[in-house]
Amino acid sequence: MTDVYQRDIGKVMINAFALLLVLSYALPYVYLLMTSLKPAADVQQIPPRFFPETISLENFNTVLGTATLPKAFLNSLVVAILTTVLSLVLAVPAAYVATQYRRPITVLFLLFALITRMVPAVSLGVPLFQLLKTLGLLDTTTGLVLAHTSTAVPLALLLMAAFFEGIPKELEDAARMDGCTRFQAFAKIILPVMKSGIAITALFSFITSWNEFLYALLLTSESAKTAPIVIAEYNSVYGLAWGPMTASAILYSLPVIIVTLVLQKQIIGGLTFGAVKG
Amino acid sequence: MAEISLSNINKVYGDSFHAIHDLSFDIRDGEFMVFVGPSGCGKSTALRMIAGLENITSGTLTIGGEVVNAVDPKDRDIAMVFQSYALYPHKTVRENIAFPLRMAKIDKTEIGRRVEEAARILELSQHLDRKPGNLSGGQRQRVAMGRAIVRKPKAFLMDEPLSNLDAKLRVQMRAEIAGLQRELGVTTIYVTHDQVEAMTMGDRVAVMKAGVLQQVASPHDLYSRPDNVFVAAFIGSPSMNLYEATLDGNRLTLGKDGFEVPAQVFESRPSLRGSTNRKIIVGIRPENMDDAAIHPASAEISAPATLVEVLGAEDIVHLNIDAPWVDAGDPDAVTEIGEDRSAVARFSPKSTIRPGDIARVAIEAEELHFFDPDTRASIW
Repeated sequence: MTDVYQRDIGKVMINAFALLLVLSYALPYVYLLMTSLKPAADVQQIPPRFFPETISLENFNTVLGTATLPKAFLNSLVVAILTTVLSLVLAVPAAYVATQYRRPITVLFLLFALITRMVPAVSLGVPLFQLLKTLGLLDTTTGLVLAHTSTAVPLALLLMAAFFEGIPKELEDAARMDGCTRFQAFAKIILPVMKSGIAITALFSFITSWNEFLYALLLTSESAKTAPIVIAEYNSVYGLAWGPMTASAILYSLPVIIVTLVLQKQIIGGLTFGAVKG
Repeated sequence: MAEISLSNINKVYGDSFHAIHDLSFDIRDGEFMVFVGPSGCGKSTALRMIAGLENITSGTLTIGGEVVNAVDPKDRDIAMVFQSYALYPHKTVRENIAFPLRMAKIDKTEIGRRVEEAARILELSQHLDRKPGNLSGGQRQRVAMGRAIVRKPKAFLMDEPLSNLDAKLRVQMRAEIAGLQRELGVTTIYVTHDQVEAMTMGDRVAVMKAGVLQQVASPHDLYSRPDNVFVAAFIGSPSMNLYEATLDGNRLTLGKDGFEVPAQVFESRPSLRGSTNRKIIVGIRPENMDDAAIHPASAEISAPATLVEVLGAEDIVHLNIDAPWVDAGDPDAVTEIGEDRSAVARFSPKSTIRPGDIARVAIEAEELHFFDPDTRASIW
């Protein structure tokens, strides 16, 4: 009896601790949401209140009424989608070859992909700026997509390599015996089998680009500007526009939150894939 | 259906590891050929070269009279069953079996008809709309077979297809595969490390060791006329007992004991006369040894029993024979801890020998095998 009792106490403690942890992570976001729902006049109220007295969509109307934010949203979306597509096109076949045709050079290749993730982004910003300037791609969607792809590809490569490790080499052999060329085996059998792995990698690439701030700040100025930059610009010499800023931040975070909630199972499954299957 | 011919086939990986050495033999049309050997002997590599999944370093491979060294696997018209089955997990059983036909661009109604037929033969009709993940090991194995037979290929290649099944199912599937092959009459190459599978299924068996073909023969010939020490020990379970002995005239001395070798042995092995008065390797199958107290024989030795395994139909008796033991060179051979050089005999269940007893062992001397200690080849 006492054993069971002690186990129950243990369970409650662990749950309470987990809840506390979740609350401490969620608190800033909840405060962001609460602030965005306050009427413009109440936002900078002293002393500040956590919950709004009256719920108002004034801030949301303000930001959506301007031309700047919707355009920045569209830029963000276009850049993130193109980055995702380009990253997958480059990383999926590369990861497949690197894992299924293991040679010293492919091991080295994956290692180098990892190293590029270890270099601080800011140290790559300056050479990227020079490169894009030479190519005439500064402040263009193409330029920013290329910059974002350079950071998304190594991540996609490592994720996909981990997924490919989990599938038997015989699958491609079987497809080739069944009448496929190597490419057909990859396209008709391997890719459909890797569907969920590709979906996870796509999501991570999308989020990498969607959340990216530094390169967007360095490499765009007007026409290709993405939403994180516009949101940051509410903090200007004329003061800090808390209301519109929080409303924009909430709007901007919504797609990621929705997708994450919808794909919750697959994301966790994808992150632990291989660990259990061996 | 087709004849497969290998001529001086070599496989070298990189520029160092020589996996297959000058492999040459023919597989007749409709024949069931088994490649057997210990792990790492090159049998799977040989199969994969016939499939086209591995390049051939040198030599000529012909299928149905056509040289196929440079032909893609997809154009060789042969089907393969893999050890892991390699079923497509995202496709249903029906789609799995239909896949090779769809790749061959066969008419849809014809595909449907052939899939149903294959499913009926393999008793998979009720499972056609399920995914491989929801099938048992035996059913997955059948789907893999279905994917192979549905194409009516020139040949089947099977790479240890039963090794993932439990012992009982393996015995059942063994008979089913052999029966199916006979019914379809398709040339089949079957790779296994299990000599029992090899002996029970193959029309002929090719024994390989370290990339070198040791012998190709019917199961019966492999057992009764092994070409060398390795084949002699590899085929048969428990293994043949191999000891160094001396032949002096007609008398064979094995350790401290000795007995007369019957004249008929010298008649069937004329070269044996040339080996008298020198060292020789003698091979005794466990089934040619018995308890002399029950089945007396003219050839007899005595040896202490170290272990007796009572199986009901027979007693497996481990004997400590006082003669130099010969290593057959099988890397997979299980050596007993402590008593790794003991001989194994199959005694009648009536035997009362217990561990520690000195057993009088009757030997069927006319069934002895003799090998040259230098070349390790059989003396005939």
